[in-house]
This record gives sequence, structure tokens and C-alpha cells, in this order.
Amino acid sequence: MVTLAHFIPLFPFLAFLTNIFFGRKLNKASALVSIGASIVSLGLAAYTFLSLLKGQGSYTLFKWLVFGITSLDVGVIVDPLTCMMLFVVLIIGTLIQVYSIGYMHGDKRFSRFFAYMSLFMCSMLGLLLADNFIILLLFWEGVGLCSYLLISFWFEKPAAAKAGMKAFVTTRIGDTGLLIGVFTLFFSAHTVHFRDLAALQSSEPIFMIAALLIFCGAIGKSAQFPLHVWLPDAMEGPTPVSALIHAATMVAAGVYLVTRCFGLFFAHQPALIWVGYIGAFTAIFAASIATVNNDIKRILAYSTLSQLGFMMLALGVGGYSAGVFHLMTHAFFKALLFLCAGSVIHSIHTQDIREMGGIYKNMKVTGATFVIASLAISGIPPLAGFWSKDEILSETLHSGHPVLFAIAVVTSFLTAFYMFRLIFMVLFGGARSKLHPHESPGVMTVPLAILAVFAIFVGFLGSPFMHNVFQSFIHFGHAEGTAHHAPDYAVMGLSTVIACLGIGLAYLFYILGNKILPAGVRARFTPLYNLLYNKYYIDELYDAVLIQPLMRFSRFAARFDNGIIDGAVNGCARATVVLSNIKSWIDRCIVDGAVNLTANTVGFFSSVLRRTQTGYIQTYLLVAFIGLVFIIFVKLIGGY
Amino acid sequence: MIPQSHYLILSAALFSIGVFGILTRKNAIGILMSIELILNAANINLITFNRFSGKPADGLGQIFALFVIAIAAASAVVGLGLVIAIYRNRKTILVNKMDLMKW
Amino acid sequence: MPSGLIQLLNNTGVSHEIAAKMIFYPIACLTLLFAISVVTSRNIFHSALYLALTLIGVACVYLYLDAEFLAIVQILIYVGAIVTLFIFTIMLTADISTVPFGGIMRRTLLSAIAAIGIFFILIKVVSKTTWQAAGAGAPSLGLPELGRSLMTKYVLPFEVISLISLAALVGAIVIGKARKK
Repeated sequence: MVTLAHFIPLFPFLAFLTNIFFGRKLNKASALVSIGASIVSLGLAAYTFLSLLKGQGSYTLFKWLVFGITSLDVGVIVDPLTCMMLFVVLIIGTLIQVYSIGYMHGDKRFSRFFAYMSLFMCSMLGLLLADNFIILLLFWEGVGLCSYLLISFWFEKPAAAKAGMKAFVTTRIGDTGLLIGVFTLFFSAHTVHFRDLAALQSSEPIFMIAALLIFCGAIGKSAQFPLHVWLPDAMEGPTPVSALIHAATMVAAGVYLVTRCFGLFFAHQPALIWVGYIGAFTAIFAASIATVNNDIKRILAYSTLSQLGFMMLALGVGGYSAGVFHLMTHAFFKALLFLCAGSVIHSIHTQDIREMGGIYKNMKVTGATFVIASLAISGIPPLAGFWSKDEILSETLHSGHPVLFAIAVVTSFLTAFYMFRLIFMVLFGGARSKLHPHESPGVMTVPLAILAVFAIFVGFLGSPFMHNVFQSFIHFGHAEGTAHHAPDYAVMGLSTVIACLGIGLAYLFYILGNKILPAGVRARFTPLYNLLYNKYYIDELYDAVLIQPLMRFSRFAARFDNGIIDGAVNGCARATVVLSNIKSWIDRCIVDGAVNLTANTVGFFSSVLRRTQTGYIQTYLLVAFIGLVFIIFVKLIGGY
Repeated sequence: MIPQSHYLILSAALFSIGVFGILTRKNAIGILMSIELILNAANINLITFNRFSGKPADGLGQIFALFVIAIAAASAVVGLGLVIAIYRNRKTILVNKMDLMKW
Repeated sequence: MPSGLIQLLNNTGVSHEIAAKMIFYPIACLTLLFAISVVTSRNIFHSALYLALTLIGVACVYLYLDAEFLAIVQILIYVGAIVTLFIFTIMLTADISTVPFGGIMRRTLLSAIAAIGIFFILIKVVSKTTWQAAGAGAPSLGLPELGRSLMTKYVLPFEVISLISLAALVGAIVIGKARKK
């Protein structure tokens, strides 16, 4: 069969070029160009999947660099993980681009939005298809660039511009670690290809260091603690951007990276468990902040942070399939959540949930899909999120780290709580302020409905009902999953109960005791409330400890450059001027003076001597006679 | 009678006066007149030596003096012609005005 | 001193030597006086006249030196022709008395010094020399003898003199001629 996988990123790239150069002329049609490109790539992805089933494997395109015995080949990786990710990215991407036609309607940079979206699609697809670290890094940077461009899409808002810069700089810190990790790996293993990582079973410390450094890149890109600060601020971008990039796909790239290098991690358990702990901490940390936040998109951003922590936790305890499963389900229902939020914002033009309430009456489709997505993320069976979260909980339980299990359980509780807090405050109850909600146009609601279907049914792929097809498809090493997955009813029951408790508490707070309970609790626990509301003051800490000193140093360096270096140059110039002044003085006064002195002396003497030339003959005669007299006198007297 | 030296002193005095006159007179004709004085002093000398020398008497001194007179006349004539010409040109015969060779 | 005059003086009983001396020295002093007047007179015309008187005095001195012919020639030519010429020229060049003498200037002083210096030198020379006694060493030469030696022994200078006179004549005419504008 023909290998067409490497053409998958090509079509979005062509769409990007078309929209960038001809966007002004195309205007509305630019959306169709992007969507068309995505659909063509989706077709190619389906073809690749089929050829994978038929036995097609990874292949090399060409040799790029040759040094010594090793060489850098550019190739395409075709394996179950990549194919699954391709489907996720392309389906969600296409639906979001359709949604954007309605959301970005009337925006003055409409075609440029779609150009950037296409460029993002191209970069993400390339990242997924890369078979070595170098090409991965290339597309990693591309994805980061698109994220920056799209976050600060409305760059007239200073907050958006600052958020874009914050995202770029924070992920850059992680990328530095990633880069050093890749170098370390090459230095020690003399390879950068993923296929060679599986053969790497040595347990030298340098490989653990390489693994941890590579994980730094994942921390940055997937917004784990301590590099999580950019993701909430990235909500300044348009909602479709938040849905696609910062919920479903780009942030999942970090998880994808860890799964690609899973062999490396698995061989060094300390590195792997470190991944797990960071993931767990991020999960509960973000969930706690989400419970008191009042911006609809920021709640969802913290929710994303929390769920990414879940995925990292799953990978950390060795649950390869569980983490990837949750990645897939999370992509669908998080994208749906963001699109619903976007629909609400598009309708009532505010993001503060304290001004919302009772919208369900006017926005039935949005409301219904919103509820479905919330149920999914809370882990209510039989929706998608239940199956994947349950997998993670059971993996954690059997991992031998009870602390992690406890954190996971508490986080699930908090997840259900804050999601339904959001639902009850936005959709139900009385309106808290003057609102005029209206349902969004069809171009926006149809993708919502389609995603809702996915959110309901995609979980079955990994459930016992379908005999854990997903886990057999995507697994690490031998099919370790199958023996494991006798359904663990105890965990299933526990997770369902936890979720219902969370929903119930939210109902209590925000429907029944709406007026008094939230305020009362806030008053009782004011210090804790303030800590959570201000995001544990992490941003302020970073500002004080890192950013201000850096700015001070920059200012100092600028002053140094201006004052000392420029001053040195200016000083040289001034010294030269002074020197040349001295030289000119010397030239004028001394050299010319000497010449003038000679001339003046000659003139003086000549002016004295010329008086002998009187032109007057009697003077001449007089002189002659006097001379004669003198001579004769001398002769007479002297007697010579 | 009158010793030779007195004649010589006379001529010396006349000569000095003539020199003084050459060096002093501003008028060109005055200078010419002083030249005549000098020539006359020389003549006196010649005649004196002719009288007192005791050499064979061929009257050399007197003839010499005669020639001196003739030449004095000739020089006076030419000189005065020059004076006339200068006067015509420059309207003056004062030698302190003839300073074209002055610095 | 001419013999005729000696005879005259002998007849009158005056010692001719003393008489000679008594006449000579005043004449000599007058001559010098007139000469000084020539060179110091402010008026050029007066200078010319004083010149004439000086030349007459010189002629008298010639008489004392037994050169009668020359004395006559002196008066004839010098006083008669040359001084006349001087006076003519003075008349033709008209600023006779417009310019004062100018008083005692530095130049006058220096010139006086030069003149007096020359005088002293000559006096010194004269006084240091021993002269022959004023004997009647040379008989006075008569006019025929003078003429004879002029034509035979000294004929060359005589001819040259005539040439010089001719040249002077022609030259003076040429120089003094008015140019046609």
C-alpha cells in the first residue's frame, strides 16, 4: 500500500499559506479553505489507520544529516498511539473550525484567524507524526508559536498581549529543559529516534537525568506545577482557541511526549514516580483554585490543569493505557465544555458567572450539551469520563502509593463540585443580573451536538462492554492490560459515589442555600478563601522572586550599555576631538609660528637694512667718503 | 717767499669745502659748482708742484692744469645739459626728489 | 711772483717778500671764504656769483705761482664761460630760491665730519713731508715755450681734448634738446 501519512500535515500548511496571502480577498471563504484542508487530512488519517491495521509500520523518508556512524533520518511514525491522536486532533479541530465561523463572525481579522488555526493543525499533526526528537522539537516550537499568535489574537487588548508573552516565556523555560534532555540523550545513547528508545534498558543515572529533563518540557507545555501559570491567562484568547489548543490538543502534547518516551521512564522508576507526584499535586492544586473562581473560562482552565495532572498521575503509576484513554476522553468533553462556554459568552457578552443564572430557559441546546459535558467530566456512568477516570483510580490504587490514591479521590470530588457549581450558577437558578440570552446560530450548535455524542459514546471503547478494545489497541510492552482489567467494581462504585457527593454539595450550595451558604462559608473561612481566590499567590511570588530581579538586571544592563560602553565609545570620540584640537593648536601656533618667525625676522632685518637704499646719491657719496676717511685715518694712526 | 706747504694747505681746504658742498647741496647745480671747486683745488696743486718741483721745465703742470680746465668745462657743459633735461622731465632739480631708486 | 711786479715793488722800496706775503694771505682767506659761501648759500644765484669770485681768487693764486697764462685762461674760461653757463642754467631752471637750505641736519654734520676728516688727512700728509725749499728752482716758463711743448710733446692730449670738447658739445646739445612730443 502507498504511504501517505507524511502528507497529512501538508494540507493544513497549504491552507495556512492560502489564507495568509490571499485572506483579504477570500474573507469568508478562508474558513472553507481551512476546514477543507482538515477534512482532507482526516481522510488521509483514516487511510493511514486502515493501512496500520493491515500491518503498515513506521517508515523513513530520507536521510537528513550524517555524522560519523549515526545519522539523522526524517521519518514518519505509524503506530496505534499516533493514529488515535491524529483522529482526536482532526475531528475536534474540524468541529471547532466550523464553530469558529459563527464565533468569529464579523471579526476584522477573520481570515488570519483561520490561517493561524491551519498552521496550528499542521504543527500539531507534524508533532504527532515525527519519529525522532529533532523533528518533534521543530513542530513543538511551531505549536508554541501558534499558541502565542492565537492567545494574543486580539492584541489591542494589553491583557491579551501580556498573556501571549507569558505563555511563550513560561513554555520556553520548559523547552530549555527539553532541549538539554535531548542533548543528554544523544550524548549518552547516540540516538534521537523513538524506535531506539525501546531498546534502551540500561539503568545508568544519565538516562534518568535525560528523562527528567525531557519531562521539564512536558511540565511547560502541559502546564504542570510550577510552570502552570500561563494557562489561566491564556484564556484571553478567543474561545475556539482555548477549546482547541489549551484544552484538547496542545496541552496534551506534553502527555504525548511522556508516553512516547515511556520506555525511558519505565526503566527508571524514580523518574516515573516523580512524574506521578507532580501530576497529582497539580491536580488537587488546580481543582482547589477552581472551586472559588468566578470567571467561566478560568474555571475551565483550572479544570484542564487538574485533568492533565490526572493524566500525568496515571502515567506516573505505570498506567500507560489509562493515561492515554483519559487523554482522548478529556479532549472531547473539555472541547465541548469550552465551546458551550463560548456559546454562552457569545450570547450574553460577559464571562463573570456572578452575573449569570437561569440561562437554560433560552439556550436549550447549549445548556443540554453543557450538562452532558459536565456529567462526563465528573465521572458519572455511563458517560466517557467515568470509564477513563475509573481506570486511573484503579491504577493508582494498585500502584502501591496510597497517598496518590487519596489525592486522586479528593480531586475527583472537587472536580464534580466545581463543575456543577458552574452549571448551577450559569444555567439554573434565578438570573443575577439583566441578561438577554439567546440561542447561538446553528453553525455553533451543531458542533456542540456532535461533540456531545462523542462525549457520551467514546468511552465505551475502553470499557469492559467492548472488551477493552482500546487497551488492547494501545498498550505498553506486552498486553499487560488485559489481565489487569477484570472490572474493579469497588473502584467503580467509589468513584460514582464521590461524584454524586460532589454534585449534591454543589446543589446544596448553589440552588438550595443559594443566598446564604456560599457567603456564609466565605465569611467563616476568609483566609482560606483569599488564598484560593488569589491562586495561592503563585503569580505574585514569581513576579517578586524572578521577574522583578530580572527586570532590574535588564535595566542595569541597559544602563551599563548606555553609560559605560557607549560612554567609552563617546569618550574615545571626545578624546580624539581633544587630541585633534591640541594638534591643531600645535600646528597653528608652533609650526606656523616657526615659519612666521623666520619670515618676520627676515622682514625685520630687511626693513632695517633697506634704509641704506635711499636712492639718494649724496648718501652714497657720504658713506664712501666717510669710509675713505676712516680707512686713511686708521692707516695714518695705526701705521699699518 | 710763500712756502709750498701753504699752497697745498690752501688747496686742501678748497678741496674739503668742495667735498662738503657735494655732500650737502640739494640743488643739482650746486653740486656741479662744488665739483668745480674740487677741480680748482686740484689745479692749484698741479701748478704748485709745477713751480716747486725743479724738474726739467717743460711746463707739464701748467699744461696739465690747462687740460683739467678744458675737461672741467666739458663736464660742466654735459652736466648742465643733463640738469636741463631733468628739469624738463621732473620740473625740479633738487636731488632729494630724485629718489626713484629708493626702497 | 712775476718779475715785473717784483721790480715795481723794488722800486717802491717795499720788501717784495713781505708785500707778497701780505697780499697773498688775505687773498687766500677771501678765496676760502667765498668758497664756503658757494657751498652754504641758500640762493643758488648767489652761489654762482660767489663761485665766480672764488675762481678769480684762484686765478690770483696762479699769478703768485708764475702761471700767468693759466691765470688768464682761468678767468677767461672758468669765470667767463662756465660760470655764465651756470647762470644760464640757473635762470632756465626756475626754482631759484624756493627751497631753503634745510638747516643743520644729520647729513650736514656727517658731511662736515667727512670734509674735515679729509682736510686733516691732507694736512697731516703735507706736514709730514719735507718739501724743497722755496727756491727759485724753476725759471718761469714763457708763453712761447708753453705753446711749443703743447704742440710737440703733448700734442696727443691736446687732440684728445679737442675731441672731448666736441663730444661734450654734441652730447650737451643732444641731451638738452627739447623732445618733440
